[in-house]
Amino acid sequence: MGEVNLTDVRKEYEDVVAVEGMDLTIEDGEFVTLVGPSGCGKSTTLETISGLTTPTSGTIEIAGRDVTTKPPKDRNIAMVFQNIALFPHMTVYENISFGLRLRNFDKEEIDRRVENAVEIVQLEGMLDRSPDELSGGQQQRVGIARAIVREPDVFLMDEPLANLDAKLRVAMRTEIQRLQKELGITSVYVTHDQEEAMTMSDRIAIINDGQLQQCSPPLECYNRPVNTFVAQFIGSPSMNLFDGQVAGEALDVGDFSVAYDTTGTPLVDGDRVTLGVRPEDIYLADDAGDIAHPSTPVAVTVDVLEPVGDQTYAYLLAETDGETTELLMSIDPDKEISEDDTIEVVFSRDDVHVFDGAGDAVVHSLVDPSAAADDVTVEGEA
Amino acid sequence: MSEQQYSGLTGRIVKYAIHNSTDVYRLGFWVGLVSFIMITLFPFYWLLVLAVTPDNQLYQMGIVPENFNVGVFLTVVQEYPLHHYIFNSILIATITVIVCITLGSLAGYAFGRVDFPGKGPLLLLLLVISYFPGIAFLIPLFELLTGSLSILGTPTPDLYNTPWGMVFPFTMLSLPITIFILTTFYSQIPDGLEDAARVEGTTRLGALFRVIMPLSAPGVVTAAIIVFIGVYREFFFSFIMTDGSPENWAVLVYGILNFQQQHTQMYNMMAAASLIGIIPIAVLVILAQEHIVRGLTAGGLKE
Repeated sequence: MGEVNLTDVRKEYEDVVAVEGMDLTIEDGEFVTLVGPSGCGKSTTLETISGLTTPTSGTIEIAGRDVTTKPPKDRNIAMVFQNIALFPHMTVYENISFGLRLRNFDKEEIDRRVENAVEIVQLEGMLDRSPDELSGGQQQRVGIARAIVREPDVFLMDEPLANLDAKLRVAMRTEIQRLQKELGITSVYVTHDQEEAMTMSDRIAIINDGQLQQCSPPLECYNRPVNTFVAQFIGSPSMNLFDGQVAGEALDVGDFSVAYDTTGTPLVDGDRVTLGVRPEDIYLADDAGDIAHPSTPVAVTVDVLEPVGDQTYAYLLAETDGETTELLMSIDPDKEISEDDTIEVVFSRDDVHVFDGAGDAVVHSLVDPSAAADDVTVEGEA
Repeated sequence: MSEQQYSGLTGRIVKYAIHNSTDVYRLGFWVGLVSFIMITLFPFYWLLVLAVTPDNQLYQMGIVPENFNVGVFLTVVQEYPLHHYIFNSILIATITVIVCITLGSLAGYAFGRVDFPGKGPLLLLLLVISYFPGIAFLIPLFELLTGSLSILGTPTPDLYNTPWGMVFPFTMLSLPITIFILTTFYSQIPDGLEDAARVEGTTRLGALFRVIMPLSAPGVVTAAIIVFIGVYREFFFSFIMTDGSPENWAVLVYGILNFQQQHTQMYNMMAAASLIGIIPIAVLVILAQEHIVRGLTAGGLKE
């Protein structure tokens, strides 16, 4: 019913390329989130799907029809906007029924559908109000009701929660997820918040500089990022990245090195590499017994501690020969560590990612390199 | 500073003024207000005095009427086709307003909401044209609209004694200001609302008429009023494009002028007709004012 297909979509604005070589297939009923930093082209991508922008080249198919040059009204899509965009001169009822009235539905059919939609978003009894009499959350619910009432092929959501306060945002997040599962309508959701992307989506499409980096289920993006950009973008706080090179049977970062046999990988002695370790995969040397494959201990000094409650973020400095490397790790807040302490830490070698000189992933674990080499992921897999 | 400086009447007044500045400000306010009201309303008062003064006493007329001839208002309405002139004026003004708002909306949408090359220069050109006095176009437009010219071998249509002979030049003269007002208002409507309308199923044009225009109601009404009043009181084209008979679409100002004949000048009649002619405009402004207020309070855009 509602498959969306983008083939080699490119959008240029005067001298800026906003989106380039975008190939993306969204299955029927799937919830895909486009995520990336500001100005990465995620909203432009959504706009080309909605028809509010025509791509410079490439094709867009919705539900099997080529809609590349069709105006929004002929695409059978519905959209929820960041600035909510309710028509202020219409009541809630008129807002929700706007699209149906334009399509000359029967009065009874309109009433039935509006009632149904209002029930789904829990806004009963508000139909005669005007949008400015509603709270932010209620307004966004009206926006959602306006979208679902038309029973579209595809839902497009452009940062619908960005203008709501933090608490409401989390509540609405769950609500949108529940709604999407209930209705089973293909949804494309744009956000710059990786946490929103992780929690809501079936798959995440990570975009940077107008190009698709990776499109995979949330945990795969987290566990097997295809390049350093995805590795840093997904997960909070971000992954530690260390520049180093292959030195014999080890990856040398300068201040420390990690044993690794590169046989079976494309890496050869002397290659530049980037090591990626998530803060949650660094452990105190005392706890090395808890993990299966600890690395050799690295001596560091504690620079800054940031307690956030359930854990404490520790900014560490590893120093040798006057050069320092910064590390970020998360520690159990019960540990008695204070700033300026010198401690020893180990990495879980199962969870160390290695990226080549271009930033593309080589392996996602340093344990058993021959097995790991078999499922090397490189860019373009998506 | 010694007390010496405040002696004499002037000195005492100055002293009072310095120590009671609030009173001085209040006095200034009232002097200003009363002068303004007098300047604004005196012409109306004078018209009234002129109208009710019997025509044989017009030449010694003072500031206060000596005799009341209220019948003049009845005479004007009953013996002259004043209603016909007013009807013509209202009709021509209405047509002009409709054409101006329609064309102005399209142009205002383009200038206010779409980026296209040459937008700046084009707006500037519009501004330049709008500053030309209408009278500068009088002769060429008269030629054009009375069938005296031929363009590429086709004679131009003869619009003399038709409403279109006036609607065309009025539209031309009023469009620039309409476009400027509507451009300003339309550009303030958030893009998201237009996008929402388009996704919901309108075309760009549909979004303009269903969402952007209703939300710009105060601007649209203001533009309409300005155009209507401008046309209603316009003289040059009204005078030149008809022969002055109400059957031939002569408008109110021509009708009033008709009281001034070769040997008689019925100033009291002219004054009475002028006062009656003001009524439709007054009613319109009062009605529209309500609409403007409603338009402003119904807004509440969320951005």
